[in-house]
Amino acid sequence: MTTLPERYAYMVWMREFELACLEGVPTHEVHGELHLGIGQEAIAAGIAGVLRADDALVSTHRNHLHAIAKGVDMRAMLAEIFERSTGLCGGFGGHMHLFDPSLKFSATGIVGAGLPVAVGHAYAARLRGSDAVAVAVVGDGAVNSGGFHESMNMAGAMRLPVIVVVENNEWAISVPFHLTSATDTVAERASAWGAVGVRVDGNDVVAVASAFQDAVARARSGQGPSIVEATCYRFRGHFEGDSDLYRTEQEKEAHRAQDPLLITHRRLVASGLSTDEVLSKQYAEIRAAVQDLLASVRADPLPDASTARDHVFVASTLEAR
Amino acid sequence: MRRNLNVSQCVAEALRLEMARDPSVVVLGEDVGRHGGVFGATRGLQKTFGADRVLDTPISETAITGMAVGLALDGFRPVAELMFVDFIGVCLDQVFNAIAKNHYMTGGRVRMPIVIKTAGGCIGSGAQHSQCLWGLFAHLPGLKVVTPSNPYDAKGLMASAVESDDPVVYIEHKGLLLTRAEDFTFGADVPEERYTVPIGAACVVRPGDDVSLVTLSGTVLPSLAAAEQMASRGTSVEVIDLRSVVPLDIATIIASVARTGRLLIVDEDYLSFGLSGEIVTRVIEELGPNALRQVRRLAVPDVPIPGALSLERAVVPNLASILMALEQMSNAS
Repeated sequence: MTTLPERYAYMVWMREFELACLEGVPTHEVHGELHLGIGQEAIAAGIAGVLRADDALVSTHRNHLHAIAKGVDMRAMLAEIFERSTGLCGGFGGHMHLFDPSLKFSATGIVGAGLPVAVGHAYAARLRGSDAVAVAVVGDGAVNSGGFHESMNMAGAMRLPVIVVVENNEWAISVPFHLTSATDTVAERASAWGAVGVRVDGNDVVAVASAFQDAVARARSGQGPSIVEATCYRFRGHFEGDSDLYRTEQEKEAHRAQDPLLITHRRLVASGLSTDEVLSKQYAEIRAAVQDLLASVRADPLPDASTARDHVFVASTLEAR
Repeated sequence: MRRNLNVSQCVAEALRLEMARDPSVVVLGEDVGRHGGVFGATRGLQKTFGADRVLDTPISETAITGMAVGLALDGFRPVAELMFVDFIGVCLDQVFNAIAKNHYMTGGRVRMPIVIKTAGGCIGSGAQHSQCLWGLFAHLPGLKVVTPSNPYDAKGLMASAVESDDPVVYIEHKGLLLTRAEDFTFGADVPEERYTVPIGAACVVRPGDDVSLVTLSGTVLPSLAAAEQMASRGTSVEVIDLRSVVPLDIATIIASVARTGRLLIVDEDYLSFGLSGEIVTRVIEELGPNALRQVRRLAVPDVPIPGALSLERAVVPNLASILMALEQMSNAS
């Protein structure tokens, strides 16, 4: 069982990892729409340690934290995000498309497209007679896509071991959740698909972990799909470069005061599980470790341009071109 | 030995043999199990292999194709049926953003051994149930696109598609599925045992010296009939069945055109921005701009397929229009 201090350490790794990614934007080492999960760490840290290697996790365009939670090698991730040949996907994927087949971790840059993939993993587990489960993490923007309904219905109709974690950060880019959803919450929709739905404070890593563990246990014991809706707030724009004028400064400031790292830090100190000194020292050590990773990745080569046409097919039978 | 079976039975037989030899092969889609497919191309499979390996799904094409991705990531070889190719409009995302790209996006670390089995072709079903769309799939990098024209190839190409580590869009022609083997003038003899037809090798189904006629799928039969009639009028037509659009066997086309200097492409897909233009361009790139004395494209002239069969016949290549094109080419030479 993952302890609270361990979950806090995950959150620090996640925060510092995202900050390291951010360093690559102004230096033009990282291109495209980089989506950072800063502010949403308590959800991924609540997932961390619960899943087995043979459980699948399918993530989104904002996927780095979930990969860390699944145990994907952070150096290979960082190298992929910094577009190096040593990256998780050799530089062919990029920051939105992290895959680690050995851990059944994958991501998609298309909103809502991960959920049916998780249903496929869950069905694979059933075909094998395994009790492995499949998790799809989606944002609140994805829950109104057609594929979300199709997948939830499929999972419910077949009682598949699917857990959908909805990171409800209130904003689908610039449009607030309450304007786009017919229901006040995502969790309350679960009954339509024969699923269990719970809504938790996504800044509370203990609440997330508890709800997630319950959902995984239900799935593993054949009780079908669950939706775990975790409320949160993204501290940065939708992507690096987003002017983010659709949210007021007061709103952003109020949420920053509810930083899940601060909340967890205080909780550890208040409960006597740790001290300010120990946590500060630990934070500094993790920060240094991530910076070491970054420095090391920056020394790696870029992909060889002559390989850009590789990997379209396994069997290269396109002799004509 | 001529067996009494139709093309859909050839497809079902191929799937049966693949499922028997490889337990990772699963079939999923609408009406594929209990009903055995609306054209019968999965008939009997559920009874043999069970409802888990031959899964009747809800009408949820995004979930079906997305499940295929998850199954493939998890070590299975899914055959996902899209009942009519026209329905790709509701689920193209999983096909071209995930199935086609995951191998590339992972630098080769992930494989997508998925068959999208679907039916195209004109049989009087109107604009939303008659398209071919192989040019659409071929335009999107990462998909192999297979279009069998006869019973032998239907079985052998399906075996190759299931065995392939790459995703394959296997487009049956609805007009051929229920046609019996005895009604084919080529590829009519189908062995009972397993065999494969390689993906990416075109077939010269009728050799000739005067005109190279390149076609595929449902227009191979009428092209052969037209070539037969032209022979009696002194024009020797070589008929090439592409068998797959991706990979495109351009070498076979070029070898033929280099001899004949005259190229007719008969394509049941839309005319513009598609297969026929691609073939002409590649031939010119390879042989130079002066290699072709005549070039002609016969395809659906950029209109939706009309509802009335009489209107459909006015825009879809058929024996009469193929013959007319060949006669015009012959007269002009």
